[in-house]
Amino acid sequence: MTATTIPPVPLSRRVLPLVMLSPAVLVTLAIVFLPMAQAVWMSLHDYVLFRPKSFDFVGLKNFATALKDPVFWISLRHTVLWIAITVPAQMLLGLATALLLNQEFPWRGLARALVIIPWALPSVVIALMWVWIYDANYGVLNEFLLRMDLISTSIPWLANPDTALYAIILTLTWQGFPFFAVMILAGLQAIPRSYYEAAAIDGASKWQQFRNITLPGLAGVLMTATLLRLIWVANSIDVIFVMTGGGPGYSTYTLPLYAFINARTGLDYGYGSALAVCFTLLLLGFVILYLRRAGRNIG
Amino acid sequence: MTNKTKTRAFAAALLAGTALASAASAQNVNFWYHFDNADNPMSDLVEKFEAENPGITVTAENVPWNSYYDQLYTSIVAGTAPDAALVKLNALPRLIEMEALEPLDARLEGWEGLEEIQDNLLNLTAAADGTHYYLPVQYVVLYLYYRTDMFEELGLTPPATCDDFREAAKALTRDTDGDGRIDTYGFGFRGGKGGHDHWGSLVLSREGVGFGAGELTSDAGVAGTQFVLDLFQEDAVFPPSAPNDGFKEVIGAFQGGTTAMTIHHIGSSAGMVEALGDNVSAVPVPECGGGRWTSFGDESTAIFANAQDKEAAWKWISFLSSPENNAAFNVATGQLPVTKTDSANWTVHEQRFVDATIDSLPFAHLLPNVSETADFANTVWPVAMQRALIGELSAAEMNAEIDALYND
Repeated sequence: MTATTIPPVPLSRRVLPLVMLSPAVLVTLAIVFLPMAQAVWMSLHDYVLFRPKSFDFVGLKNFATALKDPVFWISLRHTVLWIAITVPAQMLLGLATALLLNQEFPWRGLARALVIIPWALPSVVIALMWVWIYDANYGVLNEFLLRMDLISTSIPWLANPDTALYAIILTLTWQGFPFFAVMILAGLQAIPRSYYEAAAIDGASKWQQFRNITLPGLAGVLMTATLLRLIWVANSIDVIFVMTGGGPGYSTYTLPLYAFINARTGLDYGYGSALAVCFTLLLLGFVILYLRRAGRNIG
Repeated sequence: MTNKTKTRAFAAALLAGTALASAASAQNVNFWYHFDNADNPMSDLVEKFEAENPGITVTAENVPWNSYYDQLYTSIVAGTAPDAALVKLNALPRLIEMEALEPLDARLEGWEGLEEIQDNLLNLTAAADGTHYYLPVQYVVLYLYYRTDMFEELGLTPPATCDDFREAAKALTRDTDGDGRIDTYGFGFRGGKGGHDHWGSLVLSREGVGFGAGELTSDAGVAGTQFVLDLFQEDAVFPPSAPNDGFKEVIGAFQGGTTAMTIHHIGSSAGMVEALGDNVSAVPVPECGGGRWTSFGDESTAIFANAQDKEAAWKWISFLSSPENNAAFNVATGQLPVTKTDSANWTVHEQRFVDATIDSLPFAHLLPNVSETADFANTVWPVAMQRALIGELSAAEMNAEIDALYND
């Protein structure tokens, strides 16, 4: 038996995919990696925008300054709180909503459409709306709590350092839970009904069905959605910026916001870039996890 | 027509077209400004200017105030700055440092409208070395707004000193509808960005207190900031939202009756009268610790060093600071004209607010004309004031932070 030889793939066939992909790669390099490299390069310099002529290489000085900067550590602590509360809260609320919307009830289609509204609204609109809800003088939240006799005087939710960060977290939770709800709802519909029927015949309770069928069935969706949302929430500054601008004092500073304020308001692009690079490195673990997961799905 | 003639005609037309196109692009003035007002007169002014100056077109871009200077500085570095723009004095040192401005002295010398500009305004807006980069276009002076009906009801007179101010604020902080909750506060304090004017009136007025080395950290300086903190923390005469309150919140609270006094300028008087009628009036800010200090609010125009056609840009900005045009500009902004003719015929504001402005002029000041002032106004003061109000900094620590910014 003679071995059949596979004819060599012509050079044009081998090169063609690379040629077809190269525009996308070049665009990605230009609009994603070039600014990233520029940010890293700037973080190694003293670069204040209103002194454009002085662009001095200072090595890791900006990073050393960040580590000694108390506001950096305050912002980091707030960032951890911000992520650790917002993402699980969004996920739990999204899961509960998805389970509810997966039931048969009248007007279910309308309910599914309405639940998307917070997600569809621009962040700035949401932030302004919640500023009014929290308003110490006219806000409905204080009015409701006062009428229910739960508080005796209005609480300045956004002006009190003990409540400001959590008030914004609640806002972002409200804005972001529909993302989880929609993803989980799609995941729920992919679980075959026969699993539940078989489990019911075997005498499994609703809770046992949820724990042994629903949750494992949703694991992939939950993991991907959580990783994605984690990265988005960590980077989200628009809601904080509109609601408090980081105040009162440093009460609602997060690391991306601190980097933004340094670069955009203080015009200190060197230090601002160093803060952004620090934050990116901290977030890199989650990004790698997401990329590995996404890569596995494609494979 | 022969072929040769056709070719020549075509070449001539091409040349003429090119010349016209280059003339048109060279004669365009790209102008940046910021108006919050819904009633924006800029297109009318542009139309009038273009009719009077054939061949020059003006592209006027209304840039949002919140990011105005961020965008301006960025555009200068990127080489896409406008030809001319509306600018405030506290931006002057940075713009000079960036070598972004065109000196105006030579043009001012030959300008027929120079005599029309109100006395001293050009001195106030000159750079530290006396060079003029700015042409004034409007100005205001901050004063104390108060609710006449509330003062009458309690038998109070507008406060002349800080002690009067404190007593009045305490009396005015009350539960007016008997539901056990405070619904009117004595003073609407602006703890957010821009509130340094409120703080300045109560602190920088004190004898020997300013931005010089050790002046804010002196006993008088610290006492001034402590006075502000006590009003909030001990007397509770500011609304609880004061640490985060900005312009809209402070003005809204006063117009809505949540506060009985606040500090602002004539620019908001039309809205105040519309909301409160005769129940609002104004007086100069109180004398505190031996002196008075209020903020002079400026707005000028400038030509940028990279302007395509500086002569056209000058014609446009000098047009805005000329009689009639300056009045039209200020009717919309609600501020005061810089020309003598327009000032003499000014009937836009109620007289009591014009009087309060004029009475405040003798002790009106500008913040130091140095690069640090932008940081002071944008970040250092708001963050330090908020931290002091919520108890994270003492008065001495807050003043030390500002002192360090200016003097270290």
